[in-house]
Amino acid sequence: MKEIFPDVFIENNKIFTKNLTPGEKVYGEDLIIRDDIEYRNWNYTRSKLAAGLKNGLKEFPLKKGMKVLYLGVASGTSASHFSDIINKEGLLYGVDIAERVLRELIIHAEKRENIVPILADSRLPENYSSLVLEKVDLVFEDVASSDQIEIFIRNCDYYLKQNGYAIIAIKSQSIDVTKDPEIIYKESLKELKKHLTIIDKVKLDPYEKHHLLVVLQKK
Amino acid sequence: MRVYIVSTLIGIFGINDRKKVVYFKSFGNDPKKSAEKFKLSQIDFVDEEKQSKIQLGKKGYREFIFGYRKPNEKNIENNNIGEKFVKDNLIKLAMEKGFAKTPNEVTQFITKVTIQLTKVHIKKSVTRDGLIIQVNGALEDLDKSINVYIERLREWYGLHFPEINRKISGHEKFIQIVSKYGKRENIKENDLQELINNSMGADLKDEDIEIMRVFATKIQEMINLRESLSKYSEKVLKEVAPNLLNIIGTTLATKIIAKSGGLKKMSRMPSSTIQLIGAEKALFRYLHGKGKSPRHGIIFSHPLIQNSKDENRGKMARLIASKISIASKIDYFSKEFKGNALKDEINRKAKIILSKK
Ligand SMILES: C[S@@+](CC[C@H](N)C(=O)[O-])C[C@H]1O[C@@H](n2cnc3c(N)ncnc32)[C@H](O)[C@@H]1O
Repeated sequence: MKEIFPDVFIENNKIFTKNLTPGEKVYGEDLIIRDDIEYRNWNYTRSKLAAGLKNGLKEFPLKKGMKVLYLGVASGTSASHFSDIINKEGLLYGVDIAERVLRELIIHAEKRENIVPILADSRLPENYSSLVLEKVDLVFEDVASSDQIEIFIRNCDYYLKQNGYAIIAIKSQSIDVTKDPEIIYKESLKELKKHLTIIDKVKLDPYEKHHLLVVLQKK
Repeated sequence: MRVYIVSTLIGIFGINDRKKVVYFKSFGNDPKKSAEKFKLSQIDFVDEEKQSKIQLGKKGYREFIFGYRKPNEKNIENNNIGEKFVKDNLIKLAMEKGFAKTPNEVTQFITKVTIQLTKVHIKKSVTRDGLIIQVNGALEDLDKSINVYIERLREWYGLHFPEINRKISGHEKFIQIVSKYGKRENIKENDLQELINNSMGADLKDEDIEIMRVFATKIQEMINLRESLSKYSEKVLKEVAPNLLNIIGTTLATKIIAKSGGLKKMSRMPSSTIQLIGAEKALFRYLHGKGKSPRHGIIFSHPLIQNSKDENRGKMARLIASKISIASKIDYFSKEFKGNALKDEINRKAKIILSKK
């Protein structure tokens, strides 16, 4: 087990995080024990941030104790690994518009105690301001909708701390299926730069087709 | 004197003009109760708010300002300064007011309240049209299974009486014959007698045929189940989408609500989207420069479109889609029955389309 970033591990080309709730799986991932510590396999074909790691992401700002706002949290496949990393001292506010997926997330949220599931449309950040108590250290977005850049910027404006980090998974197919992904990436990056500083980016092919993962900072 | 009465996940705060907390009453330490009270406070007074008015009245406050609409309350200001102040400082204020000792304690409690709140939202999100989506899924699953099983039965029974397959092409009739009579020699249908006498099928043992009959009976049960589901769907549709049901019938109404993701979403769709529901693949191909632009999706099964000549189908599809769209809006927002008027209008406009060359 080699630690490639704080609390992110690699063994035999597989990525792992320490299981916050030992014995519990979230999405059928493998659990393994090394030196009495249980690790969960972070499947890079199921999670975009893991795919980013696999493809050589150099900036990985997620750390223990962080407050995170996660847009498009779904049933928590990725969010559960965020929850492992931020640990008990951290807190993840997970927003999703679909009841169906949050139903699954709640079951894990109740066990993990560091996930706050919020049923809301992330287009309207003010609608969950009574639930998100504080500015956050990191905003993560994976919503796959045509206005995903706008949603991201709006939430960063509203909730991200000065010098805080932001990560977005841009899905070109959602923004415009007819356009060349490269053009969409370029336009999206141009828009993002007006508000935040880009510190790293990596394509997610072949794990997620037509996706670009971008790490930014609010400076 | 003015005072802002602010409802939070942990209780009610009273904030004066100078952003001082002049009142606090907690909702208690049961996350579920707190969630219920917070939710209620967004549409009505909770006890803690009523108390706050009394207590603050004694302190000389006369003007009470709320962030959410309340019955018979004039002073409503969304996002007022009191609310903003409390939101920005909730953790600190909770500690000052003795609700918790550490910031962590506050967030832990609030996390629990939010989980409860989201549970309530999810519970409430199940509406009756959600049942239609599931019924439609069940119908689709059943149709697939029934088809596969019928194919199997035809192959199987074909060992014994292959000639029946061409003669009886209707599946239900075929199933009835197998389950009712079993062995071909027992079949009482007149028009099959000649085929029976000259059959090249194998003579099988009773037990070989018996199990085919059992299988056929089970398929019949699935067909009956399909019928029950469809009747049930009609019943729910009468309740939730009477107008839609009236203009397009059970089968299409069930499918289109399901494919739209529910009546609420459907009522917000432009009719051009409704026109193409179920044609997503063709649309996708078209957008990539392959193939023609689709003119209709599942609404194609509407008789007025299906029975139209090719050159009229596009216009007809647009007409039907626009009325479906109107019907879904009425159904979602008011449920007032205008089904017959809509139907008349469809027929009138359809005539115009058909009369033009
Ligand atoms: C690709 S999935 C996210 C998968 C998840 N990030 C993971 O890796 O486990 C996209 C999610 O975004 C949600 N979504 C789409 N539009 C949204 C919006 N406007 N606000 C909030 N969530 C949205 C969808 O319901 C869906 O669950």
